[in-house]
Amino acid sequence: MKNLKKQILLLIAMLLTASLLLAGCGGDSKPAPAKTEALKAQSNKIKIALVLPSTVDDMAWAQSMYEAVKKIQTDSKGEIELAVSERMGKPVDAGAAIRQYATQGFDIIIAHGAQYQSVVKEIAPEFPKITFAYGTGFQTGPNIFAYDPQAQEGAYVMGILAAKMSKSKIVGIVGPVEAGDAIKYNKGFMQGVAAAGGDVKTRIAYTGSFNEIVKAGEIAKTHMDAGADFLTGSSQQAVGAIKAVAGKPGTYWLSTDMDQSKVSPDAVLASQVYNWEKVLGKILELRKKGTLGGQHLTLSFADGMLELKYNPKLEAKIPADVKAAVEKAKKDIAAGTLKIELK
Amino acid sequence: MTEGLEQGILIGMIATGIRLATPYLLAALGEMLSQRSGVFNLGLEGIMLMGAFSGFYITYVSQSPLLGLLAAIVTGGLMGMLMAFVSVTLQAEQGISGIGLSMLGWGLSGLFFRLYVDGIQSIAGLKAWKIPGLGDIPIIGPMFFSHHFIVYFAFLLVPLLWFVLFRTTWGLSVRAVGMTPQAVDTMGVSVSGLRYQCLILGGMLAGLAGATLTVANTHMFADNITAGRGFIAIALVYFGRWSPWGILAGSLLFSMADSFQLWVQVLGINFPYEMAVMLPYIVTIIALMISFGRVWPPAALGKPYERGVRG
Repeated sequence: MKNLKKQILLLIAMLLTASLLLAGCGGDSKPAPAKTEALKAQSNKIKIALVLPSTVDDMAWAQSMYEAVKKIQTDSKGEIELAVSERMGKPVDAGAAIRQYATQGFDIIIAHGAQYQSVVKEIAPEFPKITFAYGTGFQTGPNIFAYDPQAQEGAYVMGILAAKMSKSKIVGIVGPVEAGDAIKYNKGFMQGVAAAGGDVKTRIAYTGSFNEIVKAGEIAKTHMDAGADFLTGSSQQAVGAIKAVAGKPGTYWLSTDMDQSKVSPDAVLASQVYNWEKVLGKILELRKKGTLGGQHLTLSFADGMLELKYNPKLEAKIPADVKAAVEKAKKDIAAGTLKIELK
Repeated sequence: MTEGLEQGILIGMIATGIRLATPYLLAALGEMLSQRSGVFNLGLEGIMLMGAFSGFYITYVSQSPLLGLLAAIVTGGLMGMLMAFVSVTLQAEQGISGIGLSMLGWGLSGLFFRLYVDGIQSIAGLKAWKIPGLGDIPIIGPMFFSHHFIVYFAFLLVPLLWFVLFRTTWGLSVRAVGMTPQAVDTMGVSVSGLRYQCLILGGMLAGLAGATLTVANTHMFADNITAGRGFIAIALVYFGRWSPWGILAGSLLFSMADSFQLWVQVLGINFPYEMAVMLPYIVTIIALMISFGRVWPPAALGKPYERGVRG
């Protein structure tokens, strides 16, 4: 009797583990055996591995990168192989995945998050022929590219947009954690608001996390209760805030990372979009020429890797003079005549 | 202007606190039942995630939030039954199986979301329901009586569960089975049966707690939307000393502190945000430290019951 129970228990434990693995590696990642076989068969293909902190459909940071890699893969007509690891929020898990990809002979390993800097720097020297890329960051290595979106640039112009259009003269930021990208983004936004004049107040509150969707929504509601009619914020939890903003007509959201107007077409007025395709194109090209890393790649208005996209459905609501001011600021930033200081 | 604004802040703060407390309250009350019967269910987070997903998904497909909530309750009950099967029937180590259930819920909800829903979608969701009469009272109305109905249900559950636990025969058996299962067994009441009932009921409440987040609060689902709330609910059971009123106090204290810190941040009061975010946790720990009196946890908590073997 006791033995039977143990056996059933073991079976259940195995089932649980199996389903967990199944779920954890869902999406586009392929099981490991297929990878090694593929490696033997087509060694001239470029193999790219993507390690993501959240999921490929998070409508934010991770999805923006995933879509770009996917597009490049489709355009390459079978020249590029892709493997994706999702939900690698903890750098230790990510480190294990990165090492596994490296030993399986991947050519380019993209660790898509600022939190991966130290694991990448630790692993990369052991695999000098593999290109590693991570970001947001600026510290490179002989085979490490660091990509670095100039989040403050788009934030600045959207700050102008918000300040000039706000009726309540209060704009709110739903922040994740005061670090990395978020600092750049928030500072840029606040400076944009200040530059627009008109005595508009910026209020900022953090959830203390990158994926607290429910809390992000609560912060957005609190901002709106306190009078804000334009809101913004970075990281994947922003979708929760967008939903909250969509619940109150007359308030608008400004997005970053990717075009989030699909989340709520009536609430997202404009988005700062990172053009990862161009960044990846550059990495691939450099690698072809023999440069495996060592470069700090910025995404900015000047190099065209940063874009401002208006939501076509709401674009007509932006007054012409406001739009002109926004476009002028964008041009000045690209030309280098307007510099955003990140003190 | 200032007086109106201050009033608005106070109303907003209390109303937000009550909204935030609801999922904790539901999940913790459910966990209290499980623990009272002697089973420590660490799988709460996974059950909440499954409830959050099924509530969202059924609402998404059927356009009916009520059907969604029902689905979440059923799913939660099934997850509770799975926990009961593993921990009561198979007598597995409860801590480990609970963590397994948590991971299962996280994995499955994410997988189903990937398979059956095309990215992030909106649902109509549950609207707030102002209680006629009470909701029109100035200040008090918007604070306490203008929420969606799950909020009222969760708060009404507190006296109800208190009554059931301390004033009914079933409640007496549940408390006894968590203290001395041998005694209950001797009386001819099934220990496993009671534990199954409590885990299933607890699962149903956790499922509803998860669905509160998706169907009522955010009107969406995303991977890992509960973000650790299940584990906080378990902590609140200890804080509340296995009593419905204690759990109510803990949930309210934690959520009011949370709501307070959100407002402190939003109003731009000069206070480091890292400290603000920690505030609910600190307040809860301090309250726990200064509250005195003996704690009587269910004596058989965590121990599988086997007839004829001394516990």
